[in-house]
Amino acid sequence: MKFIIKNANIVNFDSITKADILIENTKIKRIAQKIEGKEKTINADGKFIFPGIIDLHAHLRIPGDGQAEDLLSGSKAAAKGGITTLFCMPNTTPSVDNEGLVKWIIEESEKINIAKIIPIAAITKDREGKTLTEYNALKNAGCLAVSDDGCSVADSLIFRRALEYAKMTGLLVISHCEDPSLSAGGAMREGFISSKYGISAIASISESIIVYRDVAIAQYLDVPIHIAHISTKNSLEIIRKAKKEGASVTAETCPHYFSFTTEDIEKHKFDSNFKVNPPLGDMEDIKEIKKALKDGTIDCIATDHAPHSYASKEQPFETAPFGFIGFETLFSSSYTALVKGNILTLEQLSEKLSYNPAKITGLKGYGEIKEGNFADLIIVDLEKKWSPSQENIVSKSKNTPFLGKELQGVVEYTINNGNIVFENEDIR
Amino acid sequence: MTQKAKIITDIEIKRMLYRLGHQVLEKNLNSSEIVLIGIQTRGAYIAQRLKKIIQEIDGIDIPLGVLDITLYRDDLTTIGPKPIVKETKIAFDIKGKTVILIDDVLFTGRTVRAALDEIMDFGRPKKVELLVLIDRGHRELPIRADFVGKNIPTAEGEMVEVKLQEIDNKEEVIIAEK
Amino acid sequence: MEKWSKKHLLGIKDLSRREIDIILELSASFKEISKREVKKVPALRGKTIVNIFFENSTRTRMSFELAAKRLSADVVNFQSSASSLNKGETIVDTIKTLEAYHPDIMVIRISSPAALYLLQKYTKASIVNCGDGKNEHPTQALLDMFTVKEKLGTLENLNVLIVGDVLHSRVARSNIFGFQKYGAKITVCGPTTMIPYDFENMGVDITYDFDTAIKKADVIIMLRIQNERLKSSFFPTIREYVDKFSLTEERYKLRKKNALILHPGPVNWDVEISSALKEKVHPLILEQAENGLAVRMGVLYLVGTEKRSL
Repeated sequence: MKFIIKNANIVNFDSITKADILIENTKIKRIAQKIEGKEKTINADGKFIFPGIIDLHAHLRIPGDGQAEDLLSGSKAAAKGGITTLFCMPNTTPSVDNEGLVKWIIEESEKINIAKIIPIAAITKDREGKTLTEYNALKNAGCLAVSDDGCSVADSLIFRRALEYAKMTGLLVISHCEDPSLSAGGAMREGFISSKYGISAIASISESIIVYRDVAIAQYLDVPIHIAHISTKNSLEIIRKAKKEGASVTAETCPHYFSFTTEDIEKHKFDSNFKVNPPLGDMEDIKEIKKALKDGTIDCIATDHAPHSYASKEQPFETAPFGFIGFETLFSSSYTALVKGNILTLEQLSEKLSYNPAKITGLKGYGEIKEGNFADLIIVDLEKKWSPSQENIVSKSKNTPFLGKELQGVVEYTINNGNIVFENEDIR
Repeated sequence: MTQKAKIITDIEIKRMLYRLGHQVLEKNLNSSEIVLIGIQTRGAYIAQRLKKIIQEIDGIDIPLGVLDITLYRDDLTTIGPKPIVKETKIAFDIKGKTVILIDDVLFTGRTVRAALDEIMDFGRPKKVELLVLIDRGHRELPIRADFVGKNIPTAEGEMVEVKLQEIDNKEEVIIAEK
Repeated sequence: MEKWSKKHLLGIKDLSRREIDIILELSASFKEISKREVKKVPALRGKTIVNIFFENSTRTRMSFELAAKRLSADVVNFQSSASSLNKGETIVDTIKTLEAYHPDIMVIRISSPAALYLLQKYTKASIVNCGDGKNEHPTQALLDMFTVKEKLGTLENLNVLIVGDVLHSRVARSNIFGFQKYGAKITVCGPTTMIPYDFENMGVDITYDFDTAIKKADVIIMLRIQNERLKSSFFPTIREYVDKFSLTEERYKLRKKNALILHPGPVNWDVEISSALKEKVHPLILEQAENGLAVRMGVLYLVGTEKRSL
């Protein structure tokens, strides 16, 4: 397939340029002023073109829970959200801890061919924190990273071995930081509101203690580590310091950690759509997370897309499962809070959503719109507003704290490997 | 609500009460069987006065109780603002007694119905007689008073209001319009 | 005539001071009914009340059941331990199923705090909270306030001391919200491990010195200590807890002369309160139970006679 995008404002991590783009087959063939041709043309006048978004942190619930999401519904939701590549976490049933499952997920998603799905395999067998999985075989099957997401590797020695062994195979270790003895039974961040309503709570230090341990081990071994979903300001100081000392630490946060606080939980009468792990923090955390996005302490924004079936979220706050969906709101919630909120420039947003995730995982040919790169890009109307609702959400699961909230910046086209996989009906 | 007419004065109320006291005693020769029960709020004050009057006339101390009928109303779930439940105090046994049930105005009869039900829950009196200051007609139940201060024919839309010194700081009966 | 506009009683934090006044005034009238020969009035005749207990409780359930019956309502009890909850039926499904019987009031006890905000979406009935996890136990606080008002004649500007396991106590939370509306100065006293995080923000004083705190208190609310707390290292031994936080004879002597000792019951004698004080403090604690019945009648009357379009 061959087509031209005209009058594009191309937003890369380092520049915004106005040009036309010629796409041929899977690649970006040419970027130049006034490309003419008989090919199909998309006029992007007034719109902005970003590299396809790369989400380092998603749960597709496959294998195991097709009620909540599956590869097809997840791919469609990702395409609507402008996500062209997504990394899915291995906390499934059974855990993705062997090459067979990794290959199966890749093959199935290629059949669907809407989003690139790259499985993250477990650090340890069954995510039990005891014995390492076969990193070499996993790498050969197509993995780029390992994580026991959902839990930390409790045993520090096993985690050390994982980091050491992963270095040899070139796999990135992504750490979910949580001290289970401090967080057990908790449903929200410990603070005044949890105390006022008697909600079992999670102390903010349950995250930062493990951030400290994991970063310390990585620094000691001089190996890379990626810290998942940072929610608290305490963790940021540790990462900032390690980065300053030259450690190859990278970190992600999620839109909800700079959009909501525990006060929103109270305001929404303990709606389980606001329950997430790590839990929502306070205004001070939001301020520090924004600052860390700006100064580069946080490298990227991921969704932690965590679908749940309707029935499993129809529960009281304390007993409902953690997590909510995020694909469809990633761009607009980030744009609204960070760019409209004068925290990041458009270029920096492009860096956090695409360039850095590609760099961190070693994805070559992605994350930037340039000639020769894969034709993964999205066309966005930055003036347009929308509001997520039960009706307009594509994911199987409809739980998100952004329900009913007004967000700005709407993805109108998603082009993946040169295929238009999402096209807003309004434009066509 | 606008006042239309003052129909009974303080002095008339006083005379009516004395007459009613005499009538009660006249009808119930064995005054030791009589107990007075006033319906909250104004019926309770009228009962208090009658107790004194009867004591004056006959020199006997008649037991006096008060009854709040709110919880026995048949319209509890349809009225808007919730009535506050006032004190009910019947500190004597009504078994075998002649209960003189006292209220200020007799209208539809529903209050009296509620009061009768409540009294029956306290015991089995020999007899219940109804005493009211004003009977304004428009009964919705087959109830009639044994002792009436005054019959005042009224229209549906009118209100009869008894004002008593104890709570209203004046003593009169008026007709008002809704 | 007084306006009552609350459909539910979910927590003391949702009530205004005036609304508490109304409940307490009403409860005084209802207390008399239980002393009658026929302990029953027809106020809620034809109404259906479902007591839904997702957590065991004999005493509170009995109190609510009796309150309902004395108001002539029809009462049925649902206890989750003997029901389908164990077979995977969700709490929401249970409410929906019971809603099919068109109850007028659901009296709910549940271990999940703030769960009633969710459950109210699934029923047209009024909901009365009789304990939601560690959040609130509004009728307990109302009966405590009723007892205090009856004994001390006022609720204004009291020094209220709450002693024990504040962390796990819905009684403590409801009482704090309630007494504070009357200008109370509230002090919580208990092991550091049992004072909730950031609790100063509730506008209460925190102390670990029972001996000093007891001297100023007009009302002393002793909280129940659950035995299972021992396992979770909230305090090392009962002996050490008693040493610091039990109402002993010596401490009892330090109290103000008219100070009231309250306890939600049942008392673990010689843990929260020394059994040597039984004759002195037990009568009031038993009166609390009596008052609880009156307060619950008052609450059921208010929410149960609410005008409602179907």
